[in-house]
Amino acid sequence: MAKGLSPLLLGKRGVTLLRGRRDGLEVTFAGRDLGEAFEELEARLAGQPSFYRGAFAVANLGATVPSSEELSRLRDLLTGAGVTLRAISGFGESLESLARAEGLEFENAALPLSDSARSLVADFAGARNDIAQRRKRGEASVRRAKIEPAGRGAPAPLRLVEPVAGTLYHTTTLRGGQTLQQNGNIVVVGDVNPGAELIAAGDILVFGRLGGIAHAGAQGDENARILALNLAATQLRIATYIAADEEAKARPAPQPEAALVREGRIVILTVDRLNRLEQSGSCRRERA
Amino acid sequence: MSARKIVVTSGKGGVGKTTTTANLGATLARRGKRVILIDADIGLRNLDLVLGLEKRIVFDLVEVAEGRCQLRQALIKDKRFDSLSILPAAQTREKDAISQDQFAAIVECAADQADYVLIDSPAGIETGFRNAVAGANEAIVVTTPEVSAIRDADRVVGKIGDAGKPIRLIVNRLRPEMVRSGDMLSVDDVCEVLSIELLGIVPDDEEVIDTTNRGEPIVLNDGGRLRAIYEKIARRLEGELVPFTNFDSPTFFGRLIGALKAG
Amino acid sequence: MQQLRNDLIRSEASELREEATGVILSEASERSEEAKSKDGRAIVITSGKGGVGKTTTTANLGTALAVRGARVVLVDADVGLRNLDILLGLESRVKHHLLDVLEERVQVEDALVPGKHTDGLFLLAAAQAREKDDVETLRMQALIASLRERFDYVLIDSPAGIELGFRNAVAGADEAVVVCTPEVAAVRDVDRVVGLLGNRFRPQLIINRLRPALVRKGKMLSVEDVNGILRLPLLGVIADEPEIIITTNRGEPLALRMQTPTGAAYHAIAARIAGDDVAAPMPAQAKASLFERLGAMLGGKRR
Repeated sequence: MAKGLSPLLLGKRGVTLLRGRRDGLEVTFAGRDLGEAFEELEARLAGQPSFYRGAFAVANLGATVPSSEELSRLRDLLTGAGVTLRAISGFGESLESLARAEGLEFENAALPLSDSARSLVADFAGARNDIAQRRKRGEASVRRAKIEPAGRGAPAPLRLVEPVAGTLYHTTTLRGGQTLQQNGNIVVVGDVNPGAELIAAGDILVFGRLGGIAHAGAQGDENARILALNLAATQLRIATYIAADEEAKARPAPQPEAALVREGRIVILTVDRLNRLEQSGSCRRERA
Repeated sequence: MSARKIVVTSGKGGVGKTTTTANLGATLARRGKRVILIDADIGLRNLDLVLGLEKRIVFDLVEVAEGRCQLRQALIKDKRFDSLSILPAAQTREKDAISQDQFAAIVECAADQADYVLIDSPAGIETGFRNAVAGANEAIVVTTPEVSAIRDADRVVGKIGDAGKPIRLIVNRLRPEMVRSGDMLSVDDVCEVLSIELLGIVPDDEEVIDTTNRGEPIVLNDGGRLRAIYEKIARRLEGELVPFTNFDSPTFFGRLIGALKAG
Repeated sequence: MQQLRNDLIRSEASELREEATGVILSEASERSEEAKSKDGRAIVITSGKGGVGKTTTTANLGTALAVRGARVVLVDADVGLRNLDILLGLESRVKHHLLDVLEERVQVEDALVPGKHTDGLFLLAAAQAREKDDVETLRMQALIASLRERFDYVLIDSPAGIELGFRNAVAGADEAVVVCTPEVAAVRDVDRVVGLLGNRFRPQLIINRLRPALVRKGKMLSVEDVNGILRLPLLGVIADEPEIIITTNRGEPLALRMQTPTGAAYHAIAARIAGDDVAAPMPAQAKASLFERLGAMLGGKRR
């Protein structure tokens, strides 16, 4: 279910330059080198000279702000194939002003935030900064595994796993207060109850209900992901990004979902959607 | 000037320490005081839940103690009240993760930034309780009018009294109709056993469980009777002489029935 | 107004009676299998969260098991905050306590206090003026082991929390029962405890103080809400009754009165613990019927 405008997102695994939208053509440049992209565009258009004739196009630039020359070049390229550049899509005031200056429409690719989401973003901004600072100083933002001394009559301590690369495969439900740490991926077959914590340098997959706190990419990998059959975490963390769903209500039929970082924040897609987008080579961000 | 550092404790679990800490803190904040609430129940944290702030926790008490972050980074501001913040406990650690001195130092640090620091103590009289008390210079003991709760409160009063800190009492979850029918101890009975200054009487309210589950302190309820009760408690805490609500006087209907029975 | 509410709770809870009573009476006189042969079972009753009814459960379950003919000893592990004796009405009869036994000042037989109302039920009280640190885990384990030789059931009343007191209570046990109320904070704490109990135990769950009327109104967690997270085998669900406070103050566990809903529920739970094929006690109308929801919408209370 698309909420407001759905911006085009990039997978780092390949970009679809040209896509058809209901209202015309979409040309995606976000994150790419413009020169390279223009060449490809030229070649594509040349390959099917009259196919696109008469269409309108939107240039998806993301956070990239092109120079006027680059923009002109783009317009010329498109005009050569009979395509008119109608709008620019992306983020930020500079892009918006450029669009206006050039007489183009501007599509804001930012996700509309609810009030509580906005306040959460503000809350977490400071925390993220601190985590980033720590990493800059060379400290891990992941707690190092601690071996607890066996005390007199002490019970079996909470199991802390020695950091080894590879995937930690945990096959029981994690209860509140329990924590798993891994210098690799973590897979839990079972639920992760509220009050539990998963910290992984890699990805986190929960084959069950994820209710606690999950921190993937805990050593800075922003490409890390968190997946669960039922994503209902108290808090999601990827690298230095933190997100919480303040308005989460129990969903009647939870579906498998994935959390990943896109354009400066954590977004959640159904796994189904994520698969399809990965196959087509780009991602459309939606809140399912 | 440094804040008043008050530990809210009880001995017996489940009598309403956390609910009291949250609601009293919120009430004080509403009156314009700068309030910091500290959850000392490491491993069984609930103060964040009761205030609905669990999703905003990034750092906790133990991480502050270990120097992984500053106190101000761990404090969570409650947006519903102008000057209320909480320092959550850690969930995945044990009570021995922090020493008495460390805890006291953190409370001191909080006291520099606030008018009131309320410490939510864990149940019992073990390490967690001792840490919580160590940070405070005053105590509020919460009890319900039940024999086992009073006995536990008595033990706790003894322990805190040994340390020479002023102690006050809140009698929680009073059910006046049960007192009238002789099935529950009266406030006077309780005070007689514990002999400490009475700070407040809070009647039992069915709504409390639901509001706790939803993370909305009951004092948010405009016109709710518990809000008025906590207001009175806050005023007494500030030194005002406020008469106690008389829950014992029967309603007109009750008096009529009583008259009929007697006559 | 409050009277009305009490009546409501009582009449809702009374539905239990009809289901439970018939089943229990037939087994009351039979001795459980375990008692005939080997060592007794040591069961710790715990929760993490305070005030959910651990001690009440220990007292009532012990009473119910004894009424069935088992030999039961209740051990109060809440050193310094003892309460089990009050619930059994035995506080004036306690001469020696747990630490007197552990520190070998008296023999355990001399410390056991026989139950006031039930044959076959004994109490080993906690010390009031001591600390939980004084209990040595190994000695506790040895004591429980020796009690198992003489009793069919050793029920250990754990203190609140997850500190040393809790760990010592758990140390001697080989089975665990966790008690939870339908509140978010309680569920979190119980979940933590279940995690700490680890692989040695497969805890069973008692949900206490349910108020079906509030569940129906959506103002209290339901049984599914609670056990949806805890995922434990359910021993039974007990409704909240004002009688419980009264009998606590008077030292007469409700399990003595099998015809009350709470008493009946504890007997059903005792039967299940003993291995009988008895349904888990459940307060009636814990789920709203369409009819009731309709009634609630229209503003009346329908039956």
